[in-house]
Amino acid sequence: MSPPALITGHRLQSLALIIGVIGAWELSCRLFEIPPLILPAPHAIAVRFVSLITSGTIWPHLLATLTAVLSGFGAGVVAGIVLGALISLVPAVERLVYPYVVALQTVPKIAIAPLFIIWFGYGVASKVVITALVCFFPVLVSVMAGFHSTDRDQLDMMRAFGATRWQTLVRLRLPSAMVIIFSGLEIAAVMAVIGAIVGEFVGAQQGLGYLITALNFSLDVPGVFAVLIFLSLIGILLHGSVRACSRRFVFWIRREQTPLVR
Amino acid sequence: MTLPVERQSETTKPVAPAYAAGPLIEIRGLEKRFSTRSGEVVHALSNVNLDIGEHEFISVVGPSGCGKTTLLRILAGLEQGSSGAALVGGEAISAPRPDVSVVFQQATLLPWNNVLDNVLLPVQLRGDKSSASRTRALALLAFMGLGEFAQKYPFELSGGMQQRVAICRALMRDPKILLMDEPFGALDAMTREMLNMELMRLWSEEKKTVVFITHSIPEAVLLGDRVVVMSPRPGRISAILPVDIPRPRNLKTMALPRFGEICHEIRSMFGAELHTEIAL
Repeated sequence: MSPPALITGHRLQSLALIIGVIGAWELSCRLFEIPPLILPAPHAIAVRFVSLITSGTIWPHLLATLTAVLSGFGAGVVAGIVLGALISLVPAVERLVYPYVVALQTVPKIAIAPLFIIWFGYGVASKVVITALVCFFPVLVSVMAGFHSTDRDQLDMMRAFGATRWQTLVRLRLPSAMVIIFSGLEIAAVMAVIGAIVGEFVGAQQGLGYLITALNFSLDVPGVFAVLIFLSLIGILLHGSVRACSRRFVFWIRREQTPLVR
Repeated sequence: MTLPVERQSETTKPVAPAYAAGPLIEIRGLEKRFSTRSGEVVHALSNVNLDIGEHEFISVVGPSGCGKTTLLRILAGLEQGSSGAALVGGEAISAPRPDVSVVFQQATLLPWNNVLDNVLLPVQLRGDKSSASRTRALALLAFMGLGEFAQKYPFELSGGMQQRVAICRALMRDPKILLMDEPFGALDAMTREMLNMELMRLWSEEKKTVVFITHSIPEAVLLGDRVVVMSPRPGRISAILPVDIPRPRNLKTMALPRFGEICHEIRSMFGAELHTEIAL
């Protein structure tokens, strides 16, 4: 089979899998008469999903969460890249700051979320800060690892051709680091949704996290599931965009398609 | 040991061919020691003496750990000797020099730059973005049979083609001296022979001074005007053999009885190490 046909084949297979799982779910809900309060049937979730859209209920919450996710992700990424670059390029900063950064990261975000609500209010600002904090660390670590991953032979090569430190940074170290930085960005993209939801769970007047708690209180379980779909859509979209960027910017990495172990 | 071989022992003065205006590269009593993590001192180079004339092609052959790469790195200005001297044109080598280029064992191309930009790297680093350099880069690529690949990326090329790009890059700033550290070591035998032929063609046109490090005895004999034989523990020059086979040489040269004699002579110097570490 040619590669495109193979990919289409794999897509069909994974589509068949999800259809099978949903079919089995629907069937068992009907067969065993599982109460919708415990596990709603897929069709009930689909109905609720559509009604959330048609009634317009979802939009302000979706917008709030999307704002928190995107601006938090952006802020966390920028902070991670700047501090990571500083730590990698100025050894004094690493000695001085890095231990505290790690110490701060060991504190669970959910434990300090209430503090952020106090400091930054019930609005979107506190969610942005929490999301940024969640995204920051994987990016920071990937930037540091990236700058340390430069190939020694290539460093020798640059030196042999008389490159200055700045030229070596721009032409070699930075592009080499991109490969690992992008895997940090992928992790951050997935974590960003978690950050925003944690903030909204702890205290909010809007957002998908707030909506989930509200629907849970009114025992609207199909509604909770429907919101979960929106949440994972945000995550998938953000992660997909980062993947697309990475394919565009670190095009020289040919991702291995073969399994590690046969 | 029946051939006329220059022997190096306690005497520090090597026997070198006569030069019109002194040797281009002079190595005098060069030592290199470094300590490992466990604290023991490794003698990478011990009392190395070698004079290399302009336009000379010197092959350096020896088993792993004989210090041949260390020697090349000192000549490239990437490392300093612990004592003794290494000079180019009478000047001590303290840093990488613009008239010395290196081809490494790995092609070390920048994967995010296309072939042309990789070749242009050395001149771009000194701020030269002229169209003349571009023309020269394209001419070099055409000379190495890579004319159509200027816009390709390194990952689209085979290992042999990547190494040819690396050679073009090394020639880009028109160096006097070309240092080559097992440049074809990672390639298959067929590609390797082809690149040996191309290197000889290049050398006969551009007349660089070449120091060529290799594991392979036939490769050393085929290419070199002289073969420097090194031994490990401590890394030292154990012999320097002139290769008295006329040029131009080609793959048929390897079938000459004289070729076999010289190879055999070098091989016999390695004794037991031969069977484990030297590519025959």
